[in-house]
Amino acid sequence: MAETQLDDVRKVFTEDDGNEIVAVNDVSIDIEDGEFLVLVGPSGCGKSTTLRMIAGLESITDGEIRLDDRVINDLPAKERNIAMVFQSYALYPHMTVRENMAFGLEESTDLSDDEIATRVEETAEMMGIDPLLDRKPEELSGGQQQRVALGRAIVREPAVFLMDEPLSNLDAKLRAQMRTELQQLQEQLETTTVYVTHDQTEAMTMGDRIAILNDGELQQVGTPLECYHEPANAFVADFIGEPAMNFFDVTRRNADGDGAVLVGETLEYAVSNDITTAIGDRNELVLGVRPEDIDIQHSDGNPRRADGHTVPATVTVVEPTGDENIVYLDLGEDGSETAIVTIDGMSRIEAGDSVVAHIPEDAIHVFDGKTNEALHNRRVESSEPRAPNI
Amino acid sequence: MSEQTITTEEAATEHETGGISIGRVGLYATLVGLVGFYLIPIESGLVTSIKTPTALQETFPFLPPAGSGITVEKWQIAFDYLAPGMVNSMLFTIPSTILCALLGSMAAYGLTLVDWRGQIAVLALFIAGIFVPYQAVIVPLFQFWSQYMQLGTRLSFLWGLPLLEPHYATILELIITHTAYGIPIVTLLFRSQYKTMSEEMIEAARLDGASVWRVYRRIVLPLSIPMFAVVFIFQFTQIWNEFLFSLTIIGSTNDPAASATLILSGLGQSLEGTDYPLRMAGAFITALPTLLVYVLFADKFAEGVQT
Repeated sequence: MAETQLDDVRKVFTEDDGNEIVAVNDVSIDIEDGEFLVLVGPSGCGKSTTLRMIAGLESITDGEIRLDDRVINDLPAKERNIAMVFQSYALYPHMTVRENMAFGLEESTDLSDDEIATRVEETAEMMGIDPLLDRKPEELSGGQQQRVALGRAIVREPAVFLMDEPLSNLDAKLRAQMRTELQQLQEQLETTTVYVTHDQTEAMTMGDRIAILNDGELQQVGTPLECYHEPANAFVADFIGEPAMNFFDVTRRNADGDGAVLVGETLEYAVSNDITTAIGDRNELVLGVRPEDIDIQHSDGNPRRADGHTVPATVTVVEPTGDENIVYLDLGEDGSETAIVTIDGMSRIEAGDSVVAHIPEDAIHVFDGKTNEALHNRRVESSEPRAPNI
Repeated sequence: MSEQTITTEEAATEHETGGISIGRVGLYATLVGLVGFYLIPIESGLVTSIKTPTALQETFPFLPPAGSGITVEKWQIAFDYLAPGMVNSMLFTIPSTILCALLGSMAAYGLTLVDWRGQIAVLALFIAGIFVPYQAVIVPLFQFWSQYMQLGTRLSFLWGLPLLEPHYATILELIITHTAYGIPIVTLLFRSQYKTMSEEMIEAARLDGASVWRVYRRIVLPLSIPMFAVVFIFQFTQIWNEFLFSLTIIGSTNDPAASATLILSGLGQSLEGTDYPLRMAGAFITALPTLLVYVLFADKFAEGVQT
C-alpha cells in the first residue's frame, strides 16, 4: 500500500540511427494510496511504457517516480516491492501453481517455508484456485491461468499492483466477470493499483480515476464520469464513450440578437450567450455531441423546429443491440456529414427513413478547432439522487 | 451414428489398399533398397569383426561366416588395446561436454536475456569462433600447451597425490581445448532457444525479486533441459570422435593419455598388412559410447530439436 507519484516522467528511446522517439512526455500523476488508476489510450500512446517505468523494467529518461515520497528511479525492479500482472500471464511453465505463487516470496522475503506455504494456500483459497495448486500452467484454461497470475501478484502483498492489459486474452463473457471480480478484490485488499488497458469500457467500469494518454502526453486525469461528461479535449471526448462522440467542424457566425450560430457543412446551430462567452473570439470550432443525446423523430412533413437545434437526416444503417439501436445518419439534404445516434431499442426506425435530428443545447460540447481543447462541456445534473420510479 | 463412422473408415482403408497399390509397392521397394544400402556397410563390418582369418578369405565381406569361422577373439584384442584409450577419452569428453553446455548456456543467457551495452560485439566474437577452422589452430595450440603452459611441469606437485597421474595434465589440456572450441556453437544453439523465451516471464521473475543469477538458476536453466540433451549428444559425439586435437596435443599412440580415436587409427595396421576383423571390432567398440548417449537422451533430444 503506497502513494505513488509520477513527476514529469519522460521516456526517450534512441533508435539505432540516432533518431529519438519520445514515448512518454512529461507525465505527472499522483496516485493515491489504495486507488485504482486506469491508464488508457490507443496502442503506442506510452501507457505500457509508463507502467514499465513504475515497475523498473524500463529506465526513466527524465523526471521522478516516488513511492511514499521515496524516489525509486534508480531502484532495481526486484527491490521495488511491486507486483505486476502481464498480458501473457508470464507464468513459469515448469513450475506448479503452488511453486509459481511461492517463487516471489522465496526470492524476495525471508519467510520460512511453512509461512510461505500458508500464505500461498490462503491466497489460493481466496482466489478460488486451491484445487489447482499442484497443476502446471499448461494444464490450466486461460481463465485459470489468469487467476494464477493474479494470485501470484497478490500473495506477495506488494506496495503497488501493476496490471498490463491482464484481461485482453479472455473471451468477452469471462472478461466482464473478471472485471467485476478484480474490482472487488482491489477494494478488499486496498492496494494501490495501476491498470493499463486500451479498452475504454474497462477504463470506465473499473477505475477510481482514469488517466488518458495519447502520443505520450497525458490528456486528462479524472473520475470516469468526469472524463465522460467533462472531457478536457476532443481526443478524450472521442476516446471515452462507445459509440464515440459525434464531431462537426463549425465556424462561428454572430447572431442578430444574443448568442451566435455555429455553421458547419450541414448544421446551423444556434448557441446562447454562456457558450459564446466560453468560445471567446475563436472562429474555428468543433461541435461535439454524444450519440445518446441526439434524439430523432420521423420527419413526416414536420416543419423544421424553429429553435435552430435540429437538422434533417436520412437513416442509413440501424444496428439493433437489444436494449438500444445504433442508428447511422446522413445529415443534411445531401448527406455530406454523418452522425451516430443511439435510441431506445423499442423505437421503430429503419434504414431509408427520413428523420429530424434534434441536438439539445445543454448536451453539446464545444472544442477549439486548432488546439482541440474543450471550451464548453455539457451540463451535468448527476448530483441529484434519482427519484424512485413507482 | 457409430456404425456410419465404421463404414466410412472401412471404405477409406479399402480405398487406400486397393487404389494406389503400384505407387505403394514402388515406395516400399525404394525404402527397403535404401535401408539395405545404408545397413550393408555396418552389417559387413559386424560380420567381418567375428571372422577367423580363413573365414575372412573364404567368404564375401557381407556374408556371415560359417560356424567354425566365428571367433570373438578380435573383439577381445581390440578391447584390450582400446580400454585405456576409452578411459582417457571418457576422462576428457564428459567434462568438456558438461562444461561446454553449462558455459554455453550461461553465455547465451547473458547475451540474450540480460540487457547490457556491447552485447552485439561480444556475440559477433562468439559467432566468429564457430568458423575458426581446426587446421588454423593446430600449430598455435601445440605451441601454447607445450611451450607456454607446460601444465605437466606446473602441476607436478599434484602427481604425488593418490589417483592422479602425470598424463592427466594432457587430459586437462584436452578438456580446456575442447571446451573452448565448443562454446561458440553451443552458445548459438542455446541463444536460438532463449530468443523464443517469453520476455515477460523473465521480467515477472525479476519483479518477483530474483537476481540475474537466480533467474538463470530457477527459470532459464530448468526450461533449457531439452536443449541440454541436444547439446550433450552433439558435443559428446563431436569430442569423442575428434582426432586432430588428440593428434596435436597427445601426439603418440603410445602416450599414456592416448585417446580411443588415436589408438584406433593404428589398430590392426602392421607390416604384414591390415587386420580387418580387428579394425572392425575396434571401430564398433569405439562407437558404442556415442550410441549409448543417444539412447540415454533420446526423448529429451526430440523435445529439444522441436524448439
